[in-house]
Amino acid sequence: MLEVSQVSVRRGSTVTLHDISISLEPGQTLAVVGESGAGKSTLINAILGLVPCSAGQVTWDSLPVRQCWPALVMQEPRSAFNPRLSLRRSVMEPVTVRGTVVDAGRLDRLCAGLEIAQGLLDRRPAEVSIGQAQRVGILRALIAAPPLVLFDEPLSALDAVTQKHTAQLISQLQGEEGFAALIVTHDLGYAAAFADEIAVLRAGRIEELTAAQDFVQAPQTPYGQSLCDAAFALGALERVA
Amino acid sequence: MIFTATGLSAIRSGRTILHPTDVDIRPCERVGLVGASGSGKSTLGHALIDTLRAQGVRVAHVPQSPDEALDPLRSMDFHWCEAERALGLTHDASRQKKLITTLRIEGGDLHKRPWGWSRGMQQRFVIAMALIGTLDLLVMDEPTSALDPVVAADTMDLLDRYLTERQTAFLLITHDLGLAARRVARVIVMDDGRIVEDAPTEQFLLAPVTQAAKSLCAHRNWLELPC
Amino acid sequence: MIQFIAILLQRAVVVLTGAAMATFALLWHAPGDPALAIAMARHNAIVSTDVVDLIRAEAGLDAGFWSAFQAWITPLLVGDFGQSSVTGRDVWPDLVTAVSYTMPLALAALMVGLMVSVPLALVATLHPGGWLDRGAVALASIGVAIPAFWLGLLLILLFAVHLGWLPAMGARTPQHIILPALTLGLGVAASLTRILRSGILEARDQPFLPAFRRRGVAHRNIERDHVTPHAAIPFVTVFGLELAFLLEGLVVVEVIFARPGLAGFLVTAIKTRDFPKVQAVVLVTAVVFVVVNLLIDLIYRNLDPRIGE
Repeated sequence: MLEVSQVSVRRGSTVTLHDISISLEPGQTLAVVGESGAGKSTLINAILGLVPCSAGQVTWDSLPVRQCWPALVMQEPRSAFNPRLSLRRSVMEPVTVRGTVVDAGRLDRLCAGLEIAQGLLDRRPAEVSIGQAQRVGILRALIAAPPLVLFDEPLSALDAVTQKHTAQLISQLQGEEGFAALIVTHDLGYAAAFADEIAVLRAGRIEELTAAQDFVQAPQTPYGQSLCDAAFALGALERVA
Repeated sequence: MIFTATGLSAIRSGRTILHPTDVDIRPCERVGLVGASGSGKSTLGHALIDTLRAQGVRVAHVPQSPDEALDPLRSMDFHWCEAERALGLTHDASRQKKLITTLRIEGGDLHKRPWGWSRGMQQRFVIAMALIGTLDLLVMDEPTSALDPVVAADTMDLLDRYLTERQTAFLLITHDLGLAARRVARVIVMDDGRIVEDAPTEQFLLAPVTQAAKSLCAHRNWLELPC
Repeated sequence: MIQFIAILLQRAVVVLTGAAMATFALLWHAPGDPALAIAMARHNAIVSTDVVDLIRAEAGLDAGFWSAFQAWITPLLVGDFGQSSVTGRDVWPDLVTAVSYTMPLALAALMVGLMVSVPLALVATLHPGGWLDRGAVALASIGVAIPAFWLGLLLILLFAVHLGWLPAMGARTPQHIILPALTLGLGVAASLTRILRSGILEARDQPFLPAFRRRGVAHRNIERDHVTPHAAIPFVTVFGLELAFLLEGLVVVEVIFARPGLAGFLVTAIKTRDFPKVQAVVLVTAVVFVVVNLLIDLIYRNLDPRIGE
């Protein structure tokens, strides 16, 4: 399991993450919600070891997290790919880099699960739609069967209908593959619909960490309440009689 | 007087992205223009603004992203004064202060250039600029996409009040039917460069006709919770 | 701002020291005996080894690289450029005379470059892809491709030999500057036209301009307030580079038109291994280079403070 224990990150004199502790079991989904500048991306970078922690540590099953080869799905699907390579080569990169072998059926199985059509992988990033590119991004993250997948605003570049569809596909694959998913998002609706737990990040601190169903029914902090109110006011969540 | 634009169309590199389309909007009306990405809704918005402006209708436009509205080499104050001049107004510091306070961006330094501000504040600055003059119609393209949800909800509430007070019509262009359904009285659905449905919001949500509209309706919220 | 200037000055010191050391090292290690070269230049005849050794000692050439470098650089730090190894005269007054011929030519060439390129680019971008635009692009491409020495000879043939309108050789009258300035300036104009044209077209294609039009901002104001600054950034870059290339072109053009100036000064000095003179020219050009770069950085900072942060 993923354990982030008492992690702090400093940039110069400012603390961008303060004493963060979270844990995440395989098969579970944790959504980290918060506004821009709250430290969401820094948290992802700290977990991946891309920024050094000034205190605390991040482990997967008591080992440094990098040894479990976590995967990342990025926000901007098109720019997440090398524009000169076919999508297939980009997708297979995690496998090549690690030198592992993936059985032949796995790519087809994942493609089917992500509704990626035959032939799409032979195109280049600029030749597919943003929604398609993001599904291929997810495929690349999952191809080498990582136990932990980090999603950095995976849906914010997509339109509303595609967002819900893609979220559905991610969730189905998680059921089959059993990876732990940490989703960073500003969209409480997405978090509420697909995460097991919601962590509210504000100014580098975790303000609230609650089971997703409980959160949208009764947030414990005023800030959590305002996030919920906003989600209803923007139609991400809806009350029905 | 109804604002009417007829025969709006657009062709880009040989491909028709907007088939000939007529749109009319009544004064004070709130209309949502909804569709998937690539359905031609922004293009229709642009064509509508250009046509109505040519007719002398006072239209203001808030583009989807502040990058499409602000020059990175010019200060915020420069943008503001330029917008005032374009409307034939003289600089009015109290009006500027009022609008900036209304949109809660008093914290921004007007002498800085856009990139000295956060994107959310840039977007609200653009909205404030759109409200400088007296308006017949405000067109907003995905106004919430550059804003954090709490700020976005706040800004939309504030605009609701502002537009009601001034009896201004409102066209909201968005991919998000959930957002539109809460803010507009009439929904226009676009698909593949054509308007495929145009109905009052309540009626539309109950009985969407086309496939595109049905899909939008089915996916308009993430979760529905009992009251 | 103060910190910014401090960084720039620091960079200038590094560049100047580097240039000084590199030239000294190159001259020192160049094949052939510098003392012999100096001796030949002084006496204009074959000289005995005693005389050469004498010169070697006198010019400090027997002391080894570092002490020779030190002996040269120390007085320079207080502004003393030293004396010519060949004539024994002070370097500074001769250098000033040379610069007084070269500087007006450089400025005139830049003026020609600006006065040709700006109108040409503006006309070309009136109708992108139209025949005026294509003509301007073709002219500019030809201009970039033509070497200065060839263009110079053609201009001499036409204006001095056939038409007899302008003088070709020397620098006696103000008219003497016209042909060399044209030779240099047309090359500068060609590359400036190209960059200005593409800069303007790119600036007009910025994603935010449609919003300004819909806001009702007049076309004239958009061109003046938003297109111009964006087009100016690449233009300023290339203008700075052109200034540097100009120093190189000047040498060729001064030789072709037999003008006195830095070129003659430098070529003689190198031939005779006149260390102090060569060093003086290198330092002057390095200073010009550094100052130009400083100015460009300041202009950049004014146009777009994001650059260089």
